[in-house]
Amino acid sequence: MISRFLLGAFLAALMLVTGISTYLYLGGRQSHVSAAPLNPTLQTPSPRAFTLPGTLFLVQDGAIYSLSAGRFHQVTTAGGWMQPSLTVDGNLLVVRKSSFYSDIFELNRFGKRLKQLTFNAAPPRSYDTGNNHWAFYPRMASDGKTVFLSYDKPKGGYEVDMSIWSMPLNGGLRQGTDWTYSQGYTGGDMQPVPVKGGIIYTKYLRANDGSIISQIWFVNRPYPYTLYAGRALTKPDQDCREPSISPDGRSIAMICTYGKQISNLVVAPFNGSSIGAMKTVISNQMVAQPTWAPDGSGIAYLAPGLADAPFQLWFLPRNAYAPPPPGPSPSPSPIGGGPQSSPAGSPSPTPPPPVVVVKPIQITTYQGFDAASTLAWAT
Amino acid sequence: MGLSIVSGGLAYFIPAAYTAVQATGQVVEIASPSPSGLLFSPTSSPSSPQQVGAFTVLLLGSDDDSKFSSDHVLTQSMILVRVMPATKTVVMLSIPRDLWLPLSTGGMGKIDGAYSYGRAGAAIATVQENFGVHINDYIWVGLLGLIRVIDAIGGIDIVTSNPVLDDYYPLDINTNSPYGYSRIAVLAGPQHLDGTHALQYVRSRHNDLQSDFGRSRRQQQVLLAIRQKAKQLSPEDIPALAQAIGGEIKTSIPLSRVAALLPLASSFDNPDAIRTIVLPSPYTHGGAPDGSLYPNWGYILPLVHQYFP
Repeated sequence: MISRFLLGAFLAALMLVTGISTYLYLGGRQSHVSAAPLNPTLQTPSPRAFTLPGTLFLVQDGAIYSLSAGRFHQVTTAGGWMQPSLTVDGNLLVVRKSSFYSDIFELNRFGKRLKQLTFNAAPPRSYDTGNNHWAFYPRMASDGKTVFLSYDKPKGGYEVDMSIWSMPLNGGLRQGTDWTYSQGYTGGDMQPVPVKGGIIYTKYLRANDGSIISQIWFVNRPYPYTLYAGRALTKPDQDCREPSISPDGRSIAMICTYGKQISNLVVAPFNGSSIGAMKTVISNQMVAQPTWAPDGSGIAYLAPGLADAPFQLWFLPRNAYAPPPPGPSPSPSPIGGGPQSSPAGSPSPTPPPPVVVVKPIQITTYQGFDAASTLAWAT
Repeated sequence: MGLSIVSGGLAYFIPAAYTAVQATGQVVEIASPSPSGLLFSPTSSPSSPQQVGAFTVLLLGSDDDSKFSSDHVLTQSMILVRVMPATKTVVMLSIPRDLWLPLSTGGMGKIDGAYSYGRAGAAIATVQENFGVHINDYIWVGLLGLIRVIDAIGGIDIVTSNPVLDDYYPLDINTNSPYGYSRIAVLAGPQHLDGTHALQYVRSRHNDLQSDFGRSRRQQQVLLAIRQKAKQLSPEDIPALAQAIGGEIKTSIPLSRVAALLPLASSFDNPDAIRTIVLPSPYTHGGAPDGSLYPNWGYILPLVHQYFP
């Protein structure tokens, strides 16, 4: 009897353990598609990863992080912080977005608040949500005194469109200047980038079929009341946006969708007011926020990681879009040779060097960065 | 041993199966006879090799917020989806919610009211009778359902076409004052959206000159992004997914076919094989009662018959 009892108890325990193990095994085979992104400071880039030069600032879940020498540091707490850019002093211009409005702040590199540049909350006791304002994408001009931004003024009724404004760093939007006139009900003009002699920015326009497309535009002085002032640098069907200028000012990187749910990384020569032949360097990823390395060694961007994890940090080395010039070609032989000579009399041709395909490098794996937020890259 | 393994598996999947059985295989009452004959056949009659196994689903999206009685909601979004497995192609046609036409329940009205008057059956019959298409199945999802679906799959990666800014976005979900407003700003470009922000992107229409047509384009983008993300799901994800969705989705597709459709969805890899259609002018024009749109059937029907034979 005792042995039967023990055997029964053993089998019952075995069934219990096997059943629970099966349950846990199936649970462990979930795809993890809904797993929350990891805090960047909890997982530095893998030891094998490429270490980026300088300090890169990026955003996850409303907090700004810096990546320097392969390690992440949290610059601000999570609180709607986004879209960092650099001042000439090495501080940060950032946006803090709340439910109803967003404002621009200047922080030092360690996240200490130095100044609030805009005050976009509606007046107290205002019950009209339309009395609030948005300010996005602050960028400092090279003079160190002027800040460009996207600002939703003028607006009225249901129409809310952003225009490009400038304002003094030590002043306010009351002293601001409206540079562009956005097309109504498109979202407007976004992401200004100061360049020598003007600004480039992304303009949203309505295409002939009613859909909304984006174009990179250049404007060299304020045209607050003229829709088509300035000059389009890209064509409507290219649907390009998020421009970034190389450190030497001679190249522009941007993303172009060509009307598809994909965003190609495109680079082109830039002479200060117009661009040359466009070259697509990445066409199989959803590229966002291309940003040039300050030393010109490549372009960082955000894109879904392998297995389509949320947007990760990638780096495209310079050789991928600007391959080094080929070595000196062999000088013609003074004896024989030439296309009419016989094979036996000609020197054997030098084989072309093997084509080295330079691929982008995935820097992070599970972090999930805010792809609607710009990157800022300091030396 | 085998029995205990099966027991563990059943314990894992039974809650999902219960939820799925409740949501799927919904019985549809047709408010009026369909011109297309038998409804809900497993597949439509193949008229060409490309149409073998093809089927049409009517996607219905409702603002089922607390402003409305749960039994009488409008369908703010109606999308006909034709899936052709033989050619791995998909066509999505967004039907304007403001289209003024005969309803299957009687009388004239906006097409978004059909569901309110006669549930899914009336919505399906209205589309079938007016557009001359055969609909195999329907899927209905409410606002909360869309949020939960997208959150359950971990959000979507999408290239939003333009900044969607709205100063008077309805603040009517999980609130005690459903007539309040909020401001939203969904910025443009490639990004990862959770359910709440994806809903803002597809629902806002105040700052879009094309109003419902612009919104329809955005809805199609989000559907494609959901499909793309769903390709990563494994069968073991189903319990968590079913628990998250919980009753926020209804469909006439039986559970057995849902399981068969999941691998089919992942086989559609070519983005060029997915065609999206909206019906602005000249397919429709304004001037109808209550700010609705008159259909121009002379343009609409040839287009519909081309893609929904």
